[in-house]
Amino acid sequence: MTTALLEVEGLSKNFGGLQVSSDITLDLKAGDRCALIGPNGAGKTTFVNLVTGVLAPTAGTIRLEGQDVTTLSAEARVRRGLIRSFQVARLFRSMTVREHLELAVLERERKTFRLFASVRRMPGLADEVAGLLDAMGLGAAAETPVGTLAYGQQRLLEIALALALKPKVLILDEPAAGVPHSESHRILDALDRLPADLAVLMIEHDMDLVFRFARRIIVLAQGRLLCSGTAQEIAADPRVRDVYLGSRAHVHQ
Amino acid sequence: MSAVATNRPRRETAGRRLRRAALDGAAVPVMAVLGLAAFWLFPDDLGLMTRIAATALYVLSLDLVLGFGGIATLGQAAMFGTGAYAAGIAAVNLVNEPITLLAIGGVAGGLIALVTGALILHARGLTLLMLTIAVVQIVQEVANKARDWTGGSDGLSGIDPAPVLGLFRFDLYGRTSYLFALAVLIVGYLVARRIVRSPFGLACRGVKEDPLRVAALGGSPKRYLVTLYAVAGVFAGVAGALTAVTSGIVGLDSASFSWSAEALVMLVLGGTGRLYGAVIGTVAFMTIHHILASSDPFHWMLFIGLFLMAIVLFAPGGITSGIERVVHRLKRGRA
Repeated sequence: MTTALLEVEGLSKNFGGLQVSSDITLDLKAGDRCALIGPNGAGKTTFVNLVTGVLAPTAGTIRLEGQDVTTLSAEARVRRGLIRSFQVARLFRSMTVREHLELAVLERERKTFRLFASVRRMPGLADEVAGLLDAMGLGAAAETPVGTLAYGQQRLLEIALALALKPKVLILDEPAAGVPHSESHRILDALDRLPADLAVLMIEHDMDLVFRFARRIIVLAQGRLLCSGTAQEIAADPRVRDVYLGSRAHVHQ
Repeated sequence: MSAVATNRPRRETAGRRLRRAALDGAAVPVMAVLGLAAFWLFPDDLGLMTRIAATALYVLSLDLVLGFGGIATLGQAAMFGTGAYAAGIAAVNLVNEPITLLAIGGVAGGLIALVTGALILHARGLTLLMLTIAVVQIVQEVANKARDWTGGSDGLSGIDPAPVLGLFRFDLYGRTSYLFALAVLIVGYLVARRIVRSPFGLACRGVKEDPLRVAALGGSPKRYLVTLYAVAGVFAGVAGALTAVTSGIVGLDSASFSWSAEALVMLVLGGTGRLYGAVIGTVAFMTIHHILASSDPFHWMLFIGLFLMAIVLFAPGGITSGIERVVHRLKRGRA
């Protein structure tokens, strides 16, 4: 399949006189494993908010499977398969892991307006939730309220929630943020098992994770697309060194 | 080491969940047994107990909105009063079959909640609180001005319901009234529990905690809230109609701000987010109210106030969470 699942064209956003995104164009195809990197303040989070519909762009279009979704609400984009995970695990603290996944599956199947059905007896629901729990290694924590869950497990639940919605395009906003380095391999394992035909865009600071996961890396600086390419190309690009890797190299010297 | 650290709290929370599930399951049989026992034990207080049962259904409706949807409201009496007046007016002019009257009250309460909810539920927090107060004031003022229908400040009287199911006449001692109210409360409780455990109930709990996260799962928070508000409006409307049918009169105070606030006090007293909390809070508040008001007609409000402050200070989750904590501590002490 060669047609792009997600096409972003000339996307710009101004906050008053401040231009936080300017003229960003990129596309994601089925099976893409793409990472968006850039120094702090490069406009990565703004970009995610524009694409997912939390913010309205000043200019530009966003197409999902060829259809213009620029003016659709965030919910409507989710229902079309454009799913995101959150940088800070954003979960329902008093609900258990199982209840989270039940809610996500029921949302996807548009069954949440059934007032007199029992969640426990929804056909197929328990099996699907069990499958998701297994896939993320969360089976033992199924009945734990999320507020008392270890942070790494909360991150895994974020990914499981996104998967429960059967995404076509998945945007992962710093999936390993706050996870100790010794645990980040568990996140990476989970990412390796994502469905092959999914288009994934990952925003991440952890360069190990980026270089191991992404087959294409896009660099954002000061709201603009600086360059894109494979891990080797990006690592060798002097402009990238200047804005990003370079500054880190200086610190280490 | 990490296994120990993660396992311990898990087992405890699982235990708490089990206990809550057990309390949930026991609630209906306990309510039925205690309700019937009270029928034999306090034959002179049937009037009060009937009011308690109808009010418990009303507070239950508030628990649906506040405890399960996180909608801050001081206007739940708008739905209660609309249901009461709708049933009362229908009883005077159209029908007098009691279950039909309850249905009329429920539909009226649900409709007013649907219309006003769709208008005000885009707001949150304090703004929403003010809007709910505005709604209940408007409903009360409409009832006050529509004297021909509602009797205005004199109240609506002349409600004379037919026998329940054509068999049980409303007697002078209030026996039928009480048993009818108790039965309606239990049925209402069962329906509410069903809704809370449904996919819809799960989604509402999600909206209560984080509406934007629900939107990121593809749900529309406002649609859930408006639906929940309307469903709770049906419960409040039925409770209002039940009060009208069993007491025979409807007054302006049934759609008042203070009646809304009193429901909130009863719910907080019992504990929000648990259906049995609403029932326990209503029974506790109205019983204490009754005892204090008859023993010391001048200072009873003071004692109610002190009692509430003690609850808020020492059992912030209400009576039910206080009981749960004591039971928990006793069990740990024994182990």
